[in-house]
This record gives sequence, structure tokens and C-alpha cells, in this order.
Amino acid sequence: MTPNLYQPMNAEIAETIEESPTIKSFVIVPDSQFKFDTGQFVELTLPGEGEAPFTPSSSPAIAEKMEITIMKAGRITGLLHECGKGQRVGLRGPYGNGYPLDAFAGKHVYIIGGGVGLAPIRSLFLTLMDRIGDFKSVVCRFGARTPEDFIYKKTLFGDWQKLPGVQMKLTVDKANGDWDGHVGVVTTILNRKDVDIANAVAVVCGPPIMMKFATVSLLDFGFDPKSIYFSMEKNMSCGFGKCGHCMLGRYYVCKDGPVFTYDQIGKYPNIWE
Amino acid sequence: METAFISKLKPLLDAIAETMDVYVPAKVGEHYTCRKYDADGVTGPELNGIRMCTPVKEFLFPLRELAAVFPDPVDPEQVKPFAVFGLKACDLRSMEILDKVFREKDFEDPFYIARREMMFAVSSDCPSPGESCFCNVFAGKPYPESGFDLNVSRVADGFLLQPGSAQGKSFLFAHAALFGEVPDALLAERARLRETAEGRLAQATRDFQLDAPVGQIVERGYSSEVFDEQARTCVECQACTRICPTCHCFYLYDTKQQDYFAKMKMWDSCMRIGHAAVAGGANPRKMLGDRLRHRLMHKFAYFLERYGIDMCVGCGRCIDGETGDVDIRTVLKMLNDELLAQGQKAVKAAR
Repeated sequence: MTPNLYQPMNAEIAETIEESPTIKSFVIVPDSQFKFDTGQFVELTLPGEGEAPFTPSSSPAIAEKMEITIMKAGRITGLLHECGKGQRVGLRGPYGNGYPLDAFAGKHVYIIGGGVGLAPIRSLFLTLMDRIGDFKSVVCRFGARTPEDFIYKKTLFGDWQKLPGVQMKLTVDKANGDWDGHVGVVTTILNRKDVDIANAVAVVCGPPIMMKFATVSLLDFGFDPKSIYFSMEKNMSCGFGKCGHCMLGRYYVCKDGPVFTYDQIGKYPNIWE
Repeated sequence: METAFISKLKPLLDAIAETMDVYVPAKVGEHYTCRKYDADGVTGPELNGIRMCTPVKEFLFPLRELAAVFPDPVDPEQVKPFAVFGLKACDLRSMEILDKVFREKDFEDPFYIARREMMFAVSSDCPSPGESCFCNVFAGKPYPESGFDLNVSRVADGFLLQPGSAQGKSFLFAHAALFGEVPDALLAERARLRETAEGRLAQATRDFQLDAPVGQIVERGYSSEVFDEQARTCVECQACTRICPTCHCFYLYDTKQQDYFAKMKMWDSCMRIGHAAVAGGANPRKMLGDRLRHRLMHKFAYFLERYGIDMCVGCGRCIDGETGDVDIRTVLKMLNDELLAQGQKAVKAAR
């Protein structure tokens, strides 16, 4: 018989990491090997409760486990936040197309992220680091509401600041405690001189409002709509372009995305809703 | 064996029912629904004049089905052969469309395929198409030409049976004793009846002819206000999508059973307000007009682009099933007229 597309692979939560007041990372160990490309997504099932789409935040180079960073946003994510080590879960996928790394080669990679949007970006970032020599530079502009709201604080405030070939700037909407960095939304730390635009690609992932205004800035800087990449979040359910929930104009986000260029989707209304 | 003749339907259905369950049309009020054939039943089989209300997708992709069991997967139940009698050309075309989706290479739906392979499709001609039928607008005909195992055409004093597949041929061969020879006069009669039906259909749809390819009409009308205007009477009953033989949106949900977990698959509708909503509440198709636009764009532009076929067979079920007053023909015609008007304006401007 034809293999069952709807059958999840069994897996287990091996560890949970508190990232911010509303965001947790889950280290998930699948019962058998589960390969993915950076930017692809998986459907995570909480048995008996439901399923939701997430883009892994870990490097695809690590095959035996994956990390998924989840913000408490609805019913399933709320229930997942209550799960601990040892919880059995299901995994389907990976689905869709990841970031076209070969198209990024020889270019500056300008990464703009905010909030939980840093999850897919972390996976991309780790993948880029494995072959950093292939890119002219990696320039990151990340934001969060407050310093506590940054996820991956340890690496973000630590090692990632010192990597060769990487330039990183962080900002918060609202400072508190001993934050002495920039204050303002992400677009306030974007500058047309950050990268050589003619030789760059931009990757944007974050809250819809941030993606919308970051795109406005990038277009204003002169970025080609074909060089602005998004990781889109829609209601992906089946994962293979049949159930219809995630359709964005002519595209199935699950199958044709979730990574899209502005050139592909910019013409549709309500893409940020 | 080529075309055969039989004077009554009952022996034909009894012969099919020897080896499989058969589903037949049953008249309820002015419509036809579908019931399981009972060879000993009081009511004999009848041939439906137009398509049944029941879309054929119900047999291939049921309203609700078990999609997966875990943690320990179980083999799905073996599908037994079954026959559906009284399918129409539009139903056969809807199967061709669903095949594109559920038999797509690398993404084959095992449940659909299992049922599809076990189905014996017995179709029939439409001697008098209904008021909401418009298959001819999408190059359809009121009689099947392919996609069936066996096709039945009513002629004087009986029925002509035409095989359309190896299974259909072997069925006729195996039951050859039931059938008579087909004189040329009967073939000529069938051709005449078909021509009459085509004429009736052309007459009934004369006000609904489109002046450009439908994909172009909807694409060019993307920003038209027609969608919002026409969605005004929609009460979001979703009947249009549920009864549509080509709509195939579904919803996956999980349940807890005593000693296992199940993933279920159930029909859904893109006309439902929460269809595209994500966790956190964002919804790209909040307004009814947005959803109507998406439904038509999907049917006539996006699907065609992806699979090379329109996702509408012109069966008119959505028009009959509708609680509000949204008529797909009217929406398309209004977009068509807007496109014509734009064209005329452009010509004037050029002068």
C-alpha cells in the first residue's frame, strides 16, 4: 500500500529550555532518523490534542535530535508549554522548501529578525556558520520587545557577537534593567550601508508588523524583490498542498514555501495578516 | 465486447451486485440522492435524469475518516470493491480533478487511492440537463466520453451499455447472456438523444457564455468589487463547498481513544471564517468577499495553473445547495462583463 502521508513518526521531548516569559525551546529526539533542510518545517503532534507547524531552530547537521522553539500563542502551543521531558510526541515532515543557500553563496546575507522569528533564523544562522567562507558576510539585525524577550540569550549576547565574518546588532522596543544597547523597533537599526545591496540577499522573519516595515525599508534601500526572503507563517495543516488552509494567493505555503521571496507574494493583499 | 443492449436495469444491477456493494440513485422530492442497492427491495432501480445531489467525492474522500493511529500505526481497513451507478459526465470529470490532487506524484493519499482503485464507475447520459447545469461552459458534454467503467444510455425499450475500461469490458463479457445485440438504429437513436440534450443545454446556458478564458476573467477581476457585492447574501452555510464534487479542503484533528491516539481527516470549507486563521488570531481572509474571491481564484486560475484543468465541472450543485443567493454563474458573468467593459474603454482610449 501507498505509504501513509498522515502518519507521524514517534518522538520524545528530551529537554525543555525556558527562552523568555512566553517562549520555550523543546529538544526533540525522533525514534528514527529525521532529516531536514534549514527553513523547512515540521508538523508536531501532541497526541490526542492536535498538531501545529514549526520550523526547527537547530542546525540540520545534527541528525539525532532537533530543537523547536515555540511561543505560547494558541491552544496547542499552550498545551505544549505544559509538557516536560519524556513527553511522547509525533513528527511529520519535513515539508516545503528551505532557504536556497546556494543562491546566497558569494553574497552578503542580511538577516532581520524579531521575537520568535529568531527560531528559523537560528537554524539558518547555524547552517551559514558551517560554511561561512561561502558568503561575503553575515549581517544580523535582531529585535525583541524587552531584553527578557530575546530568545537564545546565552549565544546571542555571547558567542555570536564574536564570530568572524558576522556583524550583529540588537535592539529592544523598550529597555529595562542594565540594557545599554539600542532602543527602538528593528527598522531603526537598518541602514542602507549595512551591506552592499547589489551583492546581498535579505532574510526577514518575525512578527508580521515587523516583517511588513522591514520590507518597506529594504525596498527603499534598493533591494531587488527577488532578493528579499521571508519565512512565512500561515495555517499549514497537511503539509503537502492539499488541505487548502495555508493558501496565500496561488501558493500553498506548506509546499511552495514556507520560504518565499517578496517578488512571489508581495502582490497579494493581507500577506501580513 | 463492444456496446451491448439490455431491456431492464434490474438484471444489470443484480449482476454487478453479485460481487460488490452497489450504490444507486434514489429520488427524494425533485432531487436524487444515493442509497445502497437492495436486490430484493420493493423499489426497483431507476436511472437519474441529472446528477445526484451526492458528490462522488463522498465515496473516495468521505466526510470523516481515520488518517493515522499512533503510537503504533495500524494497517488501514481493506477497501472492498464497490460500484456507483448513475454517475454523470460531470461526476467523472470531478474524479479526474480529484485524482490530480490525491494521486499527485510524491504526495499520494493512500486512502483515496485505495477507494479509487476499488470503485466500479457506472455512468449514464443526461437526457434533460437541469436548470443549474452548465457543464458545456467548461467544455463538458451531457454524456460521458471517458472515465467510466460502464456507461448506460436510455433508448427506446431499453438501455445501451458501453464499456469504458478493461473492467467494464470483462463485466460485459462475463455476463454476455444478459445482453442483446445492438442494431445500428439504436446507436443512431443514442446519437440523436445526445444531440437534443446538447441543444437543450446550449439553450439553457445561452446567457452565460464567457468571452475570454475563465482563468483570465478571474485573474483580471482580482480587485473587482463583485466579490464583496456578491458575498452580501452569503450566510456562510458552506454548502457550496461541501456539495461541490471538486472542492477538497480538509481539516486534520487529533482524538484520544482508550488505548491509542487517532488523527482524523474531515471535510472543511474555505468559506468558513476561521479556515485560514493562525494561532494568535491573524486571518488573511477575514471578510466573506475575500473568501469568495479566493474560492473562485483557486477554482479557475490557481488550480488550472498547477494541474492544467479547471476545478469546476459546471454541475451546478453549489447553485442548488446555496442558502443565500450566490450564483457562481452570475459572479463569473459579472467579472466577464467588467473585463469586456475595460477592453472597450481601452479601445476608446487608444482611438
